[in-house]
Amino acid sequence: MSTRYSAALPVAELVLRVLVVLNWASGAAILAVLTATFVATDWTLTALGITPASGIPQMLPGLQAIAVLGLAAIPLNHVVLGRLLDFVKSVRDDPFVPANARRLKAIAWSLLGLQVISLIVAGIGKAIATPENPLDLDAGFSTTGWLAVLLAFVLAGVFAQGTKMREDLDGTV
Amino acid sequence: MAIGVRLDDLLYARRMTLTELADRIGITLANLSILKTSKARAIRFSTLDAICRELNCQPGDLLVRRDDEPAATAKT
Repeated sequence: MSTRYSAALPVAELVLRVLVVLNWASGAAILAVLTATFVATDWTLTALGITPASGIPQMLPGLQAIAVLGLAAIPLNHVVLGRLLDFVKSVRDDPFVPANARRLKAIAWSLLGLQVISLIVAGIGKAIATPENPLDLDAGFSTTGWLAVLLAFVLAGVFAQGTKMREDLDGTV
Repeated sequence: MAIGVRLDDLLYARRMTLTELADRIGITLANLSILKTSKARAIRFSTLDAICRELNCQPGDLLVRRDDEPAATAKT
């Protein structure tokens, strides 16, 4: 492997490891707050500074649905980050192995799932938002996001083909 | 693999070692050993050309197909 990769790989590995931990931590935080809104609704709303007059308690079921979708995104995020971490580790030896084609496909499907969740969250947000309480969610149709899905599927196909070509080349003198 | 490589015979005839041949044709000794022991899956024409040039032989002198099947079961 050329030296220009050697500096990027450890950095990429470290960043991905941190993101994996942050992903699960944010999942735990979402779960904690969501659970609190069910088991101790009044206390939780008060702790969050939400008054009954604000109109937000009426939005609570929708917000809880959004939180549940947020939780559904956590394992999908983990698939993307975890498979990418395994991919980066494989670059040291030989990236053109069948496992990497499978990893890229798993990443592509997970990215697709995340985009679908984003669309649903945006739909719910639009449905429950009021002029007094507009919701500014980082969700909805994202050209970049959908292009990333397409790119991941194409790369998975490229790696599958590259693996076959590498197998053909193995043992060639 | 049915294709055999008669590298040993040709090297002996030319009084050349495998290491010397590897140096002359610019491939690693490891890869040349793989070829010698008929473990290679494929050979590039450029490699074949270089070996024949250094050993002053034809590809047919270097490569031989060994029919592993007994004569009684040979297909017609």
